[in-house]
Amino acid sequence: MHKYLKQFVHKSPWLYRINAGSCNGCDVELATTALIPRYDVERLGCKYCGSPRHADIVLISGPLTTRVKERVLRVYEEIPHPKVTVAVGICPISGGVFRDSYSIEGPMDRYIPIDVNVPGCPPRPQAIMEGILKACEIWKKQIMEVA
Amino acid sequence: MLPFLKILVRNIIKGPATEAFPFGDTFTPKRLRGRAELNPERCLACGICSHVCAGGAIAMTESADGRGMEFRLWHNTCTFCGLCEHYCPANAITMTNDWHLSHEQSEKYTCCEVQFVEYPVCKRCGKRMLPHLHQRLAKGLVGAVNTAEIMQICPDCRRLTSAMQQIKSKTCFSTDRSNS
Amino acid sequence: MINDYIHAGIALLIFPGGLFALATGLLFKGMDRIAVARLQRRVGPPVLQPVFDIIKLSTKEILIPESANDAIFKLAPMMGLMGSLVCAALVPIAGVWKGIPGAGDIFVLLYLFSLPALAFMFGGSSSSSPFGAIGFSREMVIMFAYEIPLLATLLAVAVRADWSLSLDGIIAYQTANGPFLLDPVMIPAFLAYLLFIPGTMGAGLFDIPEAEEEVIEGPVLEYSGPLLALFNLMSAVKLMVVLSLGVALFFPLLLPGGIWVNLPFHLVKCLVLMLTAVSLFRASTGRLRIDQAFIFFLKYPSSLAYVSLLGAFLLR
Repeated sequence: MHKYLKQFVHKSPWLYRINAGSCNGCDVELATTALIPRYDVERLGCKYCGSPRHADIVLISGPLTTRVKERVLRVYEEIPHPKVTVAVGICPISGGVFRDSYSIEGPMDRYIPIDVNVPGCPPRPQAIMEGILKACEIWKKQIMEVA
Repeated sequence: MLPFLKILVRNIIKGPATEAFPFGDTFTPKRLRGRAELNPERCLACGICSHVCAGGAIAMTESADGRGMEFRLWHNTCTFCGLCEHYCPANAITMTNDWHLSHEQSEKYTCCEVQFVEYPVCKRCGKRMLPHLHQRLAKGLVGAVNTAEIMQICPDCRRLTSAMQQIKSKTCFSTDRSNS
Repeated sequence: MINDYIHAGIALLIFPGGLFALATGLLFKGMDRIAVARLQRRVGPPVLQPVFDIIKLSTKEILIPESANDAIFKLAPMMGLMGSLVCAALVPIAGVWKGIPGAGDIFVLLYLFSLPALAFMFGGSSSSSPFGAIGFSREMVIMFAYEIPLLATLLAVAVRADWSLSLDGIIAYQTANGPFLLDPVMIPAFLAYLLFIPGTMGAGLFDIPEAEEEVIEGPVLEYSGPLLALFNLMSAVKLMVVLSLGVALFFPLLLPGGIWVNLPFHLVKCLVLMLTAVSLFRASTGRLRIDQAFIFFLKYPSSLAYVSLLGAFLLR
């Protein structure tokens, strides 16, 4: 693709969220960034999409419980390349308060390549947006490298 | 009839309520619990923070040469609960309202608050000792003891000093105020 | 003869269809998103956001489910885009474009108009996903539901325009006798058409086949990358066709001046129509159940269109 067109690619990050056994706190914050006019993510061109096939940026919340692990990995495989992964909240990053529990398989980066971490329990909506912007930068680099 | 039309018209008149954040400033409450911070000058190295920490984020390890204690707080497992701030006897840990914590994966294990709490040196024998909680110690001490000096010496030397004082003055030194 | 072919080719590829329809359709989609954002007190994306989406989607990987029917899965979006582009070439713009000569009255248009919906259905059913199948059945039900008022509306307009079945004739009648929007007999038909637009575009109440939260975007669930971009282009062109057709049927008012006055005027009329029929609808209403939507279309838009049809017959 032409280089001039490539610079517009990162302006349309479609978000897809995976709940890997989260307590729903981070999901509420994600819904906040999506729905509340105050933190309008659509300004960045973001759109929350329902299908993993349409996703560009994957937001994962939750510590990856044993029960949900296989499904999360399957859904993650269904997302077309190039994709960027953002771990939202401390659970996917380190296990958080659930660390060392018998039912936790995490941290997430054992199974899924994570690109950006957004720590917090839960993170602020602004922090999530900051993470999404960082992910966009990484995505842009990826696209520019594929000549 | 059709109250939603009224709302829509009002929305258009009022204009967007979106804040400028990714391109501009945002509002951060003063008391927001964000990144935790340690002031090594005040820390007593007592370890209560790592004991109460909900996420197990705080690790305190004594350095091999015994010069002090290394304080390590991994932000990636901190829940911002503020228990450490609440229980810290010396107000050494504070929760700042800085929430800019998102980072790339390569920085995952370096996203830490690392401080070195150096043990003070005993003025008398030169051994390292745990830091004093200066103010409380000053309040609790009574009698003809040089408080300024006593804060700079280790427990062993302190015991020695008070024993020496008792021998010299032949009066029993106690914290019972009614007798003195 | 050859001249006609060249004209038809230009119409399909460049001016009312083709590039023009794609560009205006995408631009209108962007304006729709901004309008909805403003109605919800948000800032909204840049106007060119749908274009960025298309560029982005063309860089993505195409994934095809193992159990899907490969050929139909790939052909469905192309068929839909072709169908809507032909539609765009057939709809005349008052004072600018008269439609391809000798090709197409309103019934051809009605027939071609179901192609995008059919493309959705083929795509959904060939994807072998249960959500796709549910989306397929919903799309079919809602298509049957909105085609009845559409047919009645088109007939009413045709009867009122002195039995002219060609869109060009309808426009000519209205330029002579005043637009139908100001004609009290035709106002119910116009209202029916206003309700048909969100029905076919899947906005607001009728966002049923592609319901994101219920059937995960239904028929387009398994599509990714360039194929999804084709679907996006298809719906952009379809939006343009629906709006142009609405303007041609009810308000083909001409301004004195040539093409360069009337073309922007036409676009302004389309924009107003879109803001009322799509954006306002999308911002203010939730989703109906599919059976409710079916009954809704049979009850209100149909009866409105029938009233106009009856009136047109009686006043002849």
